[in-house]
Amino acid sequence: MAVLTVNDLCKTFGAGTARSNRVLDHISFDVRGQTFVSIVGPSGCGKSTLLNIISGVETHTSGAISVTSDDGRPARLGYVFQDPRLLPWRTVRKNMMYVQDKDDEVTRGRVDRYLDMVGLGKHGDFWPGQLSGGMQQRVGIARAFAVEPDLLIMDEPFSHLDAITARGLRAQLQDIWAQSKKTVVFVTHDVVEAVELSDRIIVLQPGGRIYEDITIDLPRPRRQSDPAVATLQAEVLARLEKMKAMTPQVAASV
Amino acid sequence: MTATIPTRRSTEEQASAIPSWRRVLGSEVAARVTFYVTAFLLWVALAAAFERVPGPLSVVDSLVTEFSRGEVFSNFADTFYRFTIGVALSVIVGVVVGIVMGLSGLARAFFESPVLVGLSIPAIIWAFLTVMWFGFGDASPIVTTFLTAVPFVIVNVAQGVQGVSRDLRDMSSSYGVPLGRRVRDLVLPAVSGYVLAGVRFAVIIGWNGVLLAEWFGGSGGAGFRARYWYDANQFAGFAAWVILFVVVIVVLDQLVFERMARRAFRWRDAAHS
Ligand SMILES: Nc1ncnc2c1ncn2[C@@H]1O[C@H](COP(=O)(O)OP(=O)(O)OP(=O)(O)O)[C@@H](O)[C@H]1O
Ligand SMILES: [Mg+2]
Repeated sequence: MAVLTVNDLCKTFGAGTARSNRVLDHISFDVRGQTFVSIVGPSGCGKSTLLNIISGVETHTSGAISVTSDDGRPARLGYVFQDPRLLPWRTVRKNMMYVQDKDDEVTRGRVDRYLDMVGLGKHGDFWPGQLSGGMQQRVGIARAFAVEPDLLIMDEPFSHLDAITARGLRAQLQDIWAQSKKTVVFVTHDVVEAVELSDRIIVLQPGGRIYEDITIDLPRPRRQSDPAVATLQAEVLARLEKMKAMTPQVAASV
Repeated sequence: MTATIPTRRSTEEQASAIPSWRRVLGSEVAARVTFYVTAFLLWVALAAAFERVPGPLSVVDSLVTEFSRGEVFSNFADTFYRFTIGVALSVIVGVVVGIVMGLSGLARAFFESPVLVGLSIPAIIWAFLTVMWFGFGDASPIVTTFLTAVPFVIVNVAQGVQGVSRDLRDMSSSYGVPLGRRVRDLVLPAVSGYVLAGVRFAVIIGWNGVLLAEWFGGSGGAGFRARYWYDANQFAGFAAWVILFVVVIVVLDQLVFERMARRAFRWRDAAHS
């Protein structure tokens, strides 16, 4: 598990130029322990940028951010990107091993187990170019799980998959999360998915401010058929509609 | 407006529809053979028209004599020894400097000018200079080969490194992949096409360098032997060596580089078959 603290974070692309673009605007939140947080918001509101800053591949303009494991060590991070990001010249299995600390029996066994889990147990020796887009995305998911991270960040991991595969993986994600004590930050623009999975939903509005921070207090495991889940989904959707009505910009960008 | 999509045939249908003789005639091999036949006929015609162009027969005659005297193997052994060392050095130095240049803006600023100067100096100048510096020995052909080839390797590799996908670099750093593994699994495969192109250039241009240095140096080797016949006014002997030079490059390119390229791009070929 990890402790993620984001304090008064701002990000401006091309600061000081004519194309200066404020993407995140004074964002503050923190997540600790075995929490599943979703970040939702319309396209272009800065969700991927926020994850990139959390993971350290993007710089922030001002404010503070820290990620530590909850016993104080540097946190191990798993990142499922919006696109698969596999090395095209390495096989599926070698792609998984590429991000592992060690190359031993235990690690190889773990890698195979997670490949199996995403339904690609037989594809370890394929090149990424020989897989479909959705299969590549699943390799990206397995890669992140297989590092057994303290903090797992996922950027719309299921949006390119068919409904049935996505549902299966969502269930597995919940299991893994429940068993393995991870902190998860999950980006989606699917509110239904967010309510099903999360303890907490952070709603970003265009311009990159936090519009709302909603706690989802429902028992797990959650089922689509549960009326309490459906009610809450409808309620969160209604709040988002209200945000849309308030910020005319959104109507254009959604 | 309606667009019409022509009916297309499956690969199986295509294969059975074209008669085999037409497949042979339309093949890439046929195009290659056509070149060689045309070139040969042109040579025969030129030799018939001009006295100072030796014909195929006299050249073959000289070739046979050179082979039977053992000149071919002993001189090529010398040349290859120098050439191999020179090219190997240029590849090692070129890949290292190229990667550093590709990764660091500072290194790029530092190396840009010397590389440009290197690119613009022809092999013959290095041949003169090195003979002046090192006299008649192995050093001048080796250094000439190295100096003519290394800028080409550097430029190609640096370009390849700068083109390594930003997304994949971000992925690597978010997972904290150590630098050595990043170079081995990300940078090198991504630039291998460029490295290969650079080495190919190095071989061809380095071959120029070694022959020129031998021509002006006095210590044996294929270039030196060609000059021997040239100085003796024996054009058939000279032409025989020129042919050997060309054959070496063609064989090297086809046997070594075609194979290396195919191996380096297995992943790409596999994805399209
Ligand atoms: N490298 C960059 N340079 C300049 N601007 C960028 C860069 N990356 C993102 N942006 C800008 O930041 C804004 C937010 O982008 P981001 O990718 O974070 O959106 P998002 O919320 O993930 O959207 P989506 O749901 O469509 O993935 C966009 O306006 C985009 O133009
Ligand atoms: Mg995004």
